[in-house]
Amino acid sequence: MNIHEYQAKKILSDYGILIPKGGVAYTPNEAKKIASASSSKGPWILKSQIQSGFRNNGYFLEKGAGKQGGIRKVKSRKDIVHQAKQMLGSTLVTEQTGPKGRLVGKIYVESYMQVKNIFYMALIIDSITANIKLLVAEIKDEDIVKMALSNSRKILKIDLSINQGPTEEQIYKIINFLKLDGKSLKSMETFVTGLHKIFVDYDATMIELSPVGIMKNGNLVVLDAKMSFDDNALYRHKSLQKLQDDNELEERELQAFKYGFKYSEFDGNIGCIVNGDGIALAAMDALGRKNVGTACFLNVKGGVDKDKIAAGIKIIMTNPKVEGILINVLGGFLRCNLIAEGIINATSEVGLNVPLVVRFEGTNKEEAQEILERSKLPIIIADNMENSVDMLLQAIEEGE
Amino acid sequence: MSVFVNKKTKVLCQGITGTQATFHIRRSIDYGTQVLAGVSPGKAGMVHLGVPVFNTVKEAKQETGVNASIMYVPSIAVKAAVREAVEAELDLAVSIADGVPIKDMMEIKSMLRGSKTKFIGPNTPGIITPNEARLGIFPENIHKKGKIGVVSRSSTLTYEAVIEINKANKGQSTVIGLGDDMVIGMDFIEVIDAFHKDKNTNAIVLIGQLGGSFEEKAAEYYQSLPNKKPIIAFVAGEAVPFDHKMGYAGELISNGYVSVSDKKRIMQKSGMIVVDNINDINEILVNM
Repeated sequence: MNIHEYQAKKILSDYGILIPKGGVAYTPNEAKKIASASSSKGPWILKSQIQSGFRNNGYFLEKGAGKQGGIRKVKSRKDIVHQAKQMLGSTLVTEQTGPKGRLVGKIYVESYMQVKNIFYMALIIDSITANIKLLVAEIKDEDIVKMALSNSRKILKIDLSINQGPTEEQIYKIINFLKLDGKSLKSMETFVTGLHKIFVDYDATMIELSPVGIMKNGNLVVLDAKMSFDDNALYRHKSLQKLQDDNELEERELQAFKYGFKYSEFDGNIGCIVNGDGIALAAMDALGRKNVGTACFLNVKGGVDKDKIAAGIKIIMTNPKVEGILINVLGGFLRCNLIAEGIINATSEVGLNVPLVVRFEGTNKEEAQEILERSKLPIIIADNMENSVDMLLQAIEEGE
Repeated sequence: MSVFVNKKTKVLCQGITGTQATFHIRRSIDYGTQVLAGVSPGKAGMVHLGVPVFNTVKEAKQETGVNASIMYVPSIAVKAAVREAVEAELDLAVSIADGVPIKDMMEIKSMLRGSKTKFIGPNTPGIITPNEARLGIFPENIHKKGKIGVVSRSSTLTYEAVIEINKANKGQSTVIGLGDDMVIGMDFIEVIDAFHKDKNTNAIVLIGQLGGSFEEKAAEYYQSLPNKKPIIAFVAGEAVPFDHKMGYAGELISNGYVSVSDKKRIMQKSGMIVVDNINDINEILVNM
């Protein structure tokens, strides 16, 4: 699960880490109030609160939103209302949102902070060592991606265990790497210790601060923050559950999520229902080889309730981009007959107006195939992944 | 004979009285697995599926000599279950649970360091040696005894690999699912090593997946082996477009994005036979 910048900053602040003064606004008036409440005379930064990087270089779809990007610097209080009006309710497109962009329902109004220098810091899980990895990099403008791809020596990587925060030696290493002087030592120690504690306390999978500012007095202040948390650990974090933003998920994704299925949408025209990430990927590969794209896939792994499965199948069938459906299930724990019954239920409710190819293997395979044959629905049964794709594409062509 | 489990392995089931466990242990027993004990806190003294139930792993081991555990415990209870298995010094523990928190897995890895217990999983169908032992949820009827070892990160693609081997009129020595969670117990290297030491395994089918760097590490290890057994590998996820996740950290940690094509290239260079299409595996096996 991801959270917004303003929510991440609140958590950082709770752990004693400096952030600029700011507040979240849902209306232009609220934006004005936040700026008025602060003693600062400006400038302010207005930041679209959508979960995406590259907001600065993004653009709004609506003409009325003006030419500036998703992060705007504003010099006077009067301008705040004007800019906020343009941003709120408009759709921001960035490199990460895809062409449809995302609706900006709230903005973060923050006091602009003058800093001497900036750097990048992140915590991530290293799957090979099963430890936390701390990444530090000097950045000038924000092209950290290019920098990372070209020269790895410019990135400091430090191993942290879950049981212990950073050692004195590790803090020194960071200070030296960033060429900071002794003024920043205490601040860096509090900073990294605090980040480590947040990571462990909240079951985080990623904390990324890009950038962190170094003030004249040597103190560190977080200018932007992104945080992601382990979905499998949300059950033990009621406070995080409350932060979930349903607007970040598509309507169908939301429905699938409520049933406990994994569902993702893409730009192609084939709907896939599979059990397992590996099969999902292999199905996408098989389609890719025939230059065909997935419209969506639904992962029903582990889902044993046939009503749930029917609901999941309906979600795929109601996706307007879908021109053909591929169901590829290798039942181990999952019984194939439940999928077959789910298909019958789903089609009786929403009909079947696109070609459907099914391939079963494993637990209760014959029973499942019999159920489909008895239904007399125009369902094609295939015997392996590659054939199922060929048969589906042929059926789609014949249908046209 | 196999690696890690066979008909002589004395198996314990943690969580034996649950519905999932009952459904699958019955099948495993019918399959020939030597299930000698069950653990279900508070239910010591009862007999379930013909097997005595104990309160703790230590008691079960003391009374019956079990040395491997298959766990059907909920994802949030896996950490505690593994701790019991490690403290009782079992040789092997297997968890099929989907949804184990990553931090719990990191703590489990810490527990396993320096212990004699090996851990397979989580989020895997488990391990099966055809006609001898089934620890997990494999659809056992599709498996055939033979000399091809299978190791896979994807649960359900594992069955696809098994079917390919059958199509080539060959069979499996042992099939191991590693699971595709971010942090896993046993990895490819340990399994490749075990298959190489097993005189009943002649070749290996390896299924990898987008994400992590387990395949690259496996390639590095394989390259260093003096007497290689053939490995046929398939890596799922090539068609997935480069996904800019929120933020940049994922790219930086691996010095740029490692795509499936990169993985395949590295694996090919190490000497593995890498196929583009999982359905090509049977032909390669036939010609071997």
